[in-house]
Amino acid sequence: MDNATDLTRNPKQPRAYSFKQLLPWLIPVGLIIIWQIAGSLGWISTKLLPTPWSVIQDGVSLWQSGELQKNMGISLYRALVGFAIGGSVGFFFGMLNGLSKTARALFDSTIQMLRNIPHLSLIPVVIILFGIGETAKISLVTVGVMFPIYINTFHGITSVDPELIEMGRAYGLSKREMLTKIVFPGALPTILVGVRYALGVMWTTLIVAETISSTSGIGYMATNAQEFMNMKTVLLCIVIYALLGKVSDLIAKLLEDICLDWQAERSR
Amino acid sequence: MAEPLLTLERIGKVYGDKTALHDVNFSIYPGEFIALVGMSGGGKSTILRLIAQLEQPTSGQIKYADPDMVTRVMFQNDRLLPWMTNVQNLSFKSSDKAQQARAKAMLETVGLQDFPDSYPSSLSGGQKQRLALGRALMADPQLLLLDEPLGALDALTRRKMQDSITEICQQQHLTTLLITHDVEEAARMADRVIVVKDGTNVYEADGAKGQDAATIGTVSEDVLNVILNTPQEV
Ligand SMILES: Nc1ncnc2c1ncn2[C@@H]1O[C@H](COP(=O)(O)OP(=O)(O)OP(=O)(O)O)[C@@H](O)[C@H]1O
Ligand SMILES: [Mg+2]
Repeated sequence: MDNATDLTRNPKQPRAYSFKQLLPWLIPVGLIIIWQIAGSLGWISTKLLPTPWSVIQDGVSLWQSGELQKNMGISLYRALVGFAIGGSVGFFFGMLNGLSKTARALFDSTIQMLRNIPHLSLIPVVIILFGIGETAKISLVTVGVMFPIYINTFHGITSVDPELIEMGRAYGLSKREMLTKIVFPGALPTILVGVRYALGVMWTTLIVAETISSTSGIGYMATNAQEFMNMKTVLLCIVIYALLGKVSDLIAKLLEDICLDWQAERSR
Repeated sequence: MAEPLLTLERIGKVYGDKTALHDVNFSIYPGEFIALVGMSGGGKSTILRLIAQLEQPTSGQIKYADPDMVTRVMFQNDRLLPWMTNVQNLSFKSSDKAQQARAKAMLETVGLQDFPDSYPSSLSGGQKQRLALGRALMADPQLLLLDEPLGALDALTRRKMQDSITEICQQQHLTTLLITHDVEEAARMADRVIVVKDGTNVYEADGAKGQDAATIGTVSEDVLNVILNTPQEV
C-alpha cells in the first residue's frame, strides 16, 4: 500500500515543482500581453504608450544604427570604473578600520559623517568641478558605491565570532593566517551583501547623473528621446535599466553561490 | 614522580573588580589525566585559559617545563570553521600534502571518515565534538585541555565520547586536563580529580579510571560532598 502511494506521488513531483518556477513570471508576462493587445486594438493611444512590440522594433533599429551599443558601452564603462574605484576605497577603509583600533578612532567618525550626505546632492558640486565630462559621472558613482562597501566590510570584519578568533589564537595562527582563514571568510557574507547593494546604487547614480548632464550613455538617450517626445526610446531605456539591474543582481548572486557554498549546505 | 609539565603557583586572576581566581596551586605531570570539577562560576575555565596562555594571571605564575610545549584546547562549544569542510577543519593550519594525509587518517580515528567533504553544519552535535577533538589532536599536543567538551550531548552519546577520549588519550600517552560539571564523568575518566571552588582548588582525590562502577560511585560521592560542602569537611 505504502509503495503504491509512493509510486504515484513520485512522477508528479517534478511537475508541481516546475509550475512553481513559472509562477513568478505569470504577472509580468500577462501584463505585457494585455498591454500589447490593448495597444494593437487601439484601446490606448500608442503615441503615449507604444506597444511592447514597437519598443522592441525601436531597439532593433537603434542597434542597427550602432547607437544603442555605443551608449550602452559608455554607460557600462562608467559604471564599472566607478564601481572599481569606489569599491576598492570602501573595501580598503573597511578592512583597515575593522582591523585596527587606531585607524578606527582616526577615520570612522569622519566617514560616518560624510556617509550621511546623500551622494546625489553632490551633483552640482561635481558639475562645477568637473563639468559634464567622464570624471563627473565616474566620481559620483565612486562616492555612491564607496559607503555601502565600506559599512559592510567594516561591519563584517568587526562582527566575526570572537570565539573563532580566540580558537585561532589558541591554535597558534599567525596574524596573516588569522586574516585569511578566519577573519576574511567570516566577514565575506556581509561584504557580499554590501557588493549587492552597491551594484544597485551604482546604476541608480549613473542613471541620474547621465539624465541630468551628459552627451552619451543610456541616461542621455532617454533625455534626448524625451525632448523629441519619442516615448518608444524612453521605454526602451527603462527596459534596459531593468535588465542591467537584473544582470548585476544575478552576478552578485552567482558570486555569493560560489564564495558561500558552505552556507547553502546549512539550508539544505 | 617525574618533573611536572607545568606548575601553577599562587595564581590569582581579577577581572575589573571581580576576583575570578585566588591562590590556585597544583601541578600537572606527564601522562596523567586530570579532571577539574566544581560549580558554575567557580573559575575552572579561567584556569584553563591561563594554562593555554590565552590570558595572563594577575598574580602568581605558571612554570612550564618546556615553554614551547604544544598545547591544544577543545572548547565548551565546537568552534569549527563553518566555511571549511570537515577534512579542511582538521588541516586548517597548513594545507601541505603530509597534513592532508594526516587529516584523512585523523578523520578515521574520530570515526568521521564517511564525511570528509561535507561542512560541519551538516554534522550532528556529537559528530561536531568528535571533529573538534580530532582537530585538537592534529598537532600531537603535549597537553590537551578539554573545557566541558561533552556538556551539550545526550547521555548515551556522552558515554561513548567519554570512552573514545579515554582510549585516544591512553593510546597517544597524552597529558590531559578535563573540565566538567559531571562528577561521575570526572571519577570515571581521571587519574586525579581536583575540586575548584570560589576561585581556588579546595580538594583533590584519586580518580577511578578503569575501575569498577562501585569505586567510581565512591569517588564521585566523596567529591560531590566536598563540592556541596556537607558538614564532614576535613
Ligand atoms: N572575561 C571576563 N570578564 C569578567 N569576569 C569574568 C570573565 N571571565 C570569567 N569571569 C568571572 O570569573 C568567574 C569564573 O568564571 P569561569 O568561566 O572560570 O567559571 P567556570 O568554573 O568555568 O564556570 P562554568 O562551569 O559555568 O563554565 C565567574 O564569576 C565569571 O563571571
Ligand atoms: Mg567554564
